[in-house]
Amino acid sequence: MVDMPAQNPQRIVLPPHRERARRPRIVRFREWARRNLFNSRAGTALTIITAAILALIVYGVVYFVFVDANWRVITENRWLLFAGGYPMDQEWRLWFSVMFVFLLIGLTYGTWASLGRRDHLFIVLASGFAILLLAHGGAAIWSTIWYLIAVGLLYAGYAIMIRMPRDASRGRTLQQRSVAGLLVAALPIVLIVLLAFGGARPRELEGFVLNLVLAPVGIAGGLIIAIPLALGRASRMRAISWTCTTYIEVVRGAPLLGWLFVALFILDDVIGGELIVRAMVVLAVFTAAYMAEYIRGALQALPHGQSEAAHAVGLNQFQSMQLIVMPQALRISIPPMVGQAISIWKDTTLVTVILPLRELKGNADSAIAQFEFTPDRIEAYVFVAVVFWVVAFIMSRISQRVEGSLGIGER
Amino acid sequence: MAIAAGNAPPPSSDVPLLYRRGVRRLLTQGIYVALTAVVIGYVYTSLDLREFGFGFLNEPAAFKVGNQWLTDVDGVTNSRITMYLVGVWSSLRAVLVAIALSTVIGVLIGVARLSSNWLVAQMAMLYVEIFRNTPLLVQVVLVYTILLIGAPLIENVVNVGDFFFISNRGMAMPWPVPDSGFWGTPDWFVGVWVAALIAIGVVAQRVRADRQGRERETGQPHYPNRWALGVFAVGAVVSFFALGAPVSIDEPVIVGTHYIEGMVMEPEFTALVAGLTLYTSAFIAEIVRGGIQALPRGQTEAANAVGLSAYQRLTLVILPQALRQIIPSVTNQYLNINKNSSLAYAVLYDDLFRVANIVQNKAGHALEMFFVIIVTYMLISFAISVVMNFFNARVTAQRI
Repeated sequence: MVDMPAQNPQRIVLPPHRERARRPRIVRFREWARRNLFNSRAGTALTIITAAILALIVYGVVYFVFVDANWRVITENRWLLFAGGYPMDQEWRLWFSVMFVFLLIGLTYGTWASLGRRDHLFIVLASGFAILLLAHGGAAIWSTIWYLIAVGLLYAGYAIMIRMPRDASRGRTLQQRSVAGLLVAALPIVLIVLLAFGGARPRELEGFVLNLVLAPVGIAGGLIIAIPLALGRASRMRAISWTCTTYIEVVRGAPLLGWLFVALFILDDVIGGELIVRAMVVLAVFTAAYMAEYIRGALQALPHGQSEAAHAVGLNQFQSMQLIVMPQALRISIPPMVGQAISIWKDTTLVTVILPLRELKGNADSAIAQFEFTPDRIEAYVFVAVVFWVVAFIMSRISQRVEGSLGIGER
Repeated sequence: MAIAAGNAPPPSSDVPLLYRRGVRRLLTQGIYVALTAVVIGYVYTSLDLREFGFGFLNEPAAFKVGNQWLTDVDGVTNSRITMYLVGVWSSLRAVLVAIALSTVIGVLIGVARLSSNWLVAQMAMLYVEIFRNTPLLVQVVLVYTILLIGAPLIENVVNVGDFFFISNRGMAMPWPVPDSGFWGTPDWFVGVWVAALIAIGVVAQRVRADRQGRERETGQPHYPNRWALGVFAVGAVVSFFALGAPVSIDEPVIVGTHYIEGMVMEPEFTALVAGLTLYTSAFIAEIVRGGIQALPRGQTEAANAVGLSAYQRLTLVILPQALRQIIPSVTNQYLNINKNSSLAYAVLYDDLFRVANIVQNKAGHALEMFFVIIVTYMLISFAISVVMNFFNARVTAQRI
């Protein structure tokens, strides 16, 4: 092929794969389809069957969404589903928190990763979904504006951070540290904004807002408990390792519903307080056991040479833990930890099952308990599923990008 | 700590007392034990333990437990612990069915995820992404709602030949029950038949091993699997009729608004199992995919080189190796199924957790009931782990 004389003297002959890439799009598509869809007789049959099933599913979904479903159960109960009993005159606190979190997401992306085409597409789609929901009937123009401002903040934070130098300079370190500090402080800040200084009482947290509060509290609290727990389990001091092992195994032995049962009936005597606080404690305690196992796995995966080298350069036990071992172990354990975080996010629905706390699914139950919406149960649950899916998808997406930029899992 | 293993203790003579490792450890553990004791003591004193005891479990239950299968225990005369055990049986049923289904579907989806067919791979990815990222509770409740709303009322039941019914009270189908046989054999001969089946299974296993041995020695095909299956089938049929066929088929009948007889799959059970299966199979699919991708490329290439077809490559080379590696992760998912089965509470399926809650509502004693719950879950988890570890030891012992 290379030896062939060029028919057009102007045209430069490229290596074969580049030549192939230069052919018209339709030819390339046909070749791609032959390779990936119709590569054999069985493959063709499989493609046709799958396409038929897909067409059926798409038809069913489209018919349900646009013809069969009555989405008024969602649009009429927007506030109930979103915040439920949260005092309506304090709405600005919710929007402030949303903006703050969106800004943080932008800053995080700008610092450790970059937004790909898919991310932009996803943001546009998710925003479209949110705006459709917010602006559908009723006087919700302001919430749409607040939401758009939040998305704008996301992009602004991203735009600022992505322009920062990416080398290992002092400025870069400062930037990373300040964003990390903001991330750590985010949860307390949001909680203060929501609850303190004339905000809502804890029991007024309801609906989607309750999920959004419970999950981070469970994750952050779990992480705080999990680190000493993992170190304790790996310890050579028997008393410590045995109690930590017992804790982990007992907590992992019962389902979360069982522990919420404890929060409802038993913890009342022990720590008292509001039910929602007890639920938070249980979530943190429960998550900690699982996270501790992931950290322990990471500690074991770390070569011994690391701590030995730390001792050789004269670091003491604590310094070696803090500077050498823990940073690496935590980095290794990020992927399973994110899995656990997503799992906790989904598990926040369980507080509805036996506790009298109404999170998104619980308030969807309240929505369809109204007489006019009783036929629309499927719509309500589908909506809840979609909302949870969107957030879980965002979480896994962010973690993938951050993992990629930290080089986790690469050798 | 364990991380800093291996450095020899310094000579003790010139080290101050407080800096010696043994002394330090003793001190640390002493302080730790004291703190733990304080916490436990606080919890202990704050709990109301005046009426602690398990006697309440022996009192009459006075509540109904639904969703029974093969049992018909009423709550009037039986004790609370009996009703709880009925709930445990309901849980076990759901867990076992969900484990079987999610394994099959999970492996299929996991393989489809890596299919060379683009459309199939994308569909499998869609499946995984949808069911992995939505809460199990919502899945279970959604399936339950669809079953209740979508299926016809029992008045307009879908009737297939008078033996299979579908309505919003569930599916009813014929089911074999013990009965007296041809020559007046009593109905407990079913038990004898099951025992005989186990014996025949052992014999079939022997035949298989023997055939495999001959195959290995001679290099000629001796069809071990077909032989074993044939021996088992012939033995099962012969022993069944030799014992007088002590079984009759129980066909479902609709009386009023209820099914009687036959096997009824209630919407609660179906919803719970469907939810557990959809959710867990998505996770198992990801595990299977990881296991296959972790295999060296050489395996695929070698299979191609010896001329195996795509199907042979998958079933003879790739899957046996991949499935061996993923057993620990899959076991974890089985344990999750066990724990997640407590979501039966949300669809009012009377599993162990729901029955325990009913008992707690009737009699109080939350702490004792929680002990009972956690011990039951741990025992079931332990049983699953033992079986899977046994299985794991077997498949990893033999080299391919």
